[in-house]
Amino acid sequence: MARTLPSKQRRRRSAGVSISMVVPAVLIYAALLVVPVIYAFYYSFTEYNGFPTRVPEFIGLENYRTVFGSDDMTGTMVITAVVAVVGAVAVNVAALGLALLLKRTDRFNTFGRVVMFYPHVLSALVVGFLWQAILGPQGVVNTMLEKVGTDSLPFLSDPDWALWSMILVIVWSLFGVQLILYLAGLQAVPEDLLEAAKLDGAGRWQTFRAVTWPSLASTVTVAVITSGISLLKTYDVVVSLTGGGPAGSTKTLAYTILAVSFPQRDIGLASAQAVLLILAAAVLSLTVLFLRRRAENDAESIG
Amino acid sequence: MSANRGSKARGAALAAVVPLLLLAACSSGSGTSGGKDGEIRMMVNLTDNLDRAYWEKLVKPFEDESGLKVKIEGPTGKSVAESFPQQLAAGTAPDVIQSIFPDDDTAPELVDLSGEAWAEGTPMFDAYAIGDTHFAVGVGTQTQSLVYYNKTAFEKAGITTAPTTWKEMTADLGKLKKAGYTPMQTAGDYQTGLQLQQIYHPTLNELHPKWQSAVTNRKLTVGEAYEPAFQMYADWIGSGYIARSDAGLSPSQADGNFIAGKAGLYTNGSWFAATLAKAGKLPFEVGVFSPPVADGKTYPGPQGATMANPYMVHKGASDEAGAKQLVEFLVTDPAAVKAQLGSDGVFRQESEVEQTGTDALIQGILDHAPALVAVGEGQGNVRLPVAGFNPKFTEVAQSLYTGASPADAAKAIDQWTDENR
Repeated sequence: MARTLPSKQRRRRSAGVSISMVVPAVLIYAALLVVPVIYAFYYSFTEYNGFPTRVPEFIGLENYRTVFGSDDMTGTMVITAVVAVVGAVAVNVAALGLALLLKRTDRFNTFGRVVMFYPHVLSALVVGFLWQAILGPQGVVNTMLEKVGTDSLPFLSDPDWALWSMILVIVWSLFGVQLILYLAGLQAVPEDLLEAAKLDGAGRWQTFRAVTWPSLASTVTVAVITSGISLLKTYDVVVSLTGGGPAGSTKTLAYTILAVSFPQRDIGLASAQAVLLILAAAVLSLTVLFLRRRAENDAESIG
Repeated sequence: MSANRGSKARGAALAAVVPLLLLAACSSGSGTSGGKDGEIRMMVNLTDNLDRAYWEKLVKPFEDESGLKVKIEGPTGKSVAESFPQQLAAGTAPDVIQSIFPDDDTAPELVDLSGEAWAEGTPMFDAYAIGDTHFAVGVGTQTQSLVYYNKTAFEKAGITTAPTTWKEMTADLGKLKKAGYTPMQTAGDYQTGLQLQQIYHPTLNELHPKWQSAVTNRKLTVGEAYEPAFQMYADWIGSGYIARSDAGLSPSQADGNFIAGKAGLYTNGSWFAATLAKAGKLPFEVGVFSPPVADGKTYPGPQGATMANPYMVHKGASDEAGAKQLVEFLVTDPAAVKAQLGSDGVFRQESEVEQTGTDALIQGILDHAPALVAVGEGQGNVRLPVAGFNPKFTEVAQSLYTGASPADAAKAIDQWTDENR
């Protein structure tokens, strides 16, 4: 007759097994993500060039004062916010719109999905160079405009045009992943609800507003947060498309950290900028989650 | 029970310590860097023509003679300037570093070559001294203040001699425009600021010798130094002599426009001669002149120049003596110097290396220059009190293309300098 362990002991053993499986992942996560963030936070209060021969010098909030006291930096933060907010809205509108068009599975739509995902496969650096060749003063578009006798357009040589051109290019390169998220989300919309809406005589827009949109709530949350964070980190496209120009009009915070502060070995200042970027990402995520929670609560109270 | 508690405590301690151990394992050691025994690691700038084969061929005679092995390494990041500090921080810096200069951060990590008899006669040795110490030795100069021009365009525009004053230059730009050429080719990216500095070096250094030191000592502001240049550029942009759209043009496209014969004038450094040579037969003859000078001053003015092929030795080198020997070979061995002078727009005053037509013109300008002056942020003891000047200057210069006034541009560069002192 087999001996059975007492249930308490069994639970404890099972918990031990679970913990032993989780601990390695937690340790790796902590070592590779948590510890560097703690270090960045620490360095943000120091003046340090990153060399082992030099000891970081504690300077309190000086780096943060520099960030907020410099017109250059505050301008950069405004540009980053515009890119993140406008870009996130555009990426998600484009991705959701295309997902609705491509949700039915037929041969054409399968091909369409592959084509739409293709930009995301390209390196962001390649995307920048590619669009530079298309939108530059001597690029494909302007050459064609000149051929037909029209004035060329300052896509990359006017500050406003350059910012919107860059956002357009980033949206083009990013929406593939969001498209996949929305396609997956649309698969989960209950068919019976859609059919019921149809039987009740609801039009396409009414069906979308009353059935599809509420069912996509969690997908929208994930898509907005992931795209917003990606856009906050915009760096590669800036490097290869505009180089931050003209006249600094497309300089994002990530570009300033990686292309200006780190190369100048201003580790303290770069860390302060990085901490602000992390906080911005956290605020963005929490705001979206809060708005979603409130919308759900409102819906429940109405229901 | 107690055993469980003990194991939990051990687990917690492990959880706290392991990330730190992992971090320590990933971070630098404080020991010496450098290669294996008898091997010297040299980080160099790798380009299309200065490729690994070129460098290996260059150091081969040294290897044969000394019995040491030289390991050529390209930058691990975007450039040597970016990679060397990263490797210093990681404790993996190479023994010899080529193509960059010492600064306040890196100087303490480098070997002082002041006492080396062979170093003294090398080009621009004293110009790069920080205090009384010399960390860099080079092979020649990269001449910065050059204006390349299209002789065919000049003929068609009725211009017989290259301009020596700003008034003549502005008049010539007008004639080139009338003749159907892009009067002056400029570009975006780093080139906007670089070209404006290049064309203005001689004038600026006549009006304010060692202007970087004057800014450091608060006797001059960058805005005051450069406002006349901003005004001149703004006037040229307003007159259509420089295209506003150039602010979005890549430097390689600008090179291409000049090479294709579309532009009359093109400001660039001596390295552009290598691009011209590579382009083969051009549809026009290339001329080169030193930029104009200020009214009432003697032409030609001081020539902006940087030490070409600079070498520095890392203090943590495992074989410091071997590393110094290698640098001595690179900057003094006649065959090695000759090979480097013929490589990529590197010139040396009074050099007798065989040259192409354009190279000979540049050599003439270098030989006739009354002085070689520090460019951009400066060098050695003639330095601005800020880092990152060139990218910011480019941003400010580009603002002239996008509608800012010269006064706004001067104010912007002064504000940035004050914020970053």
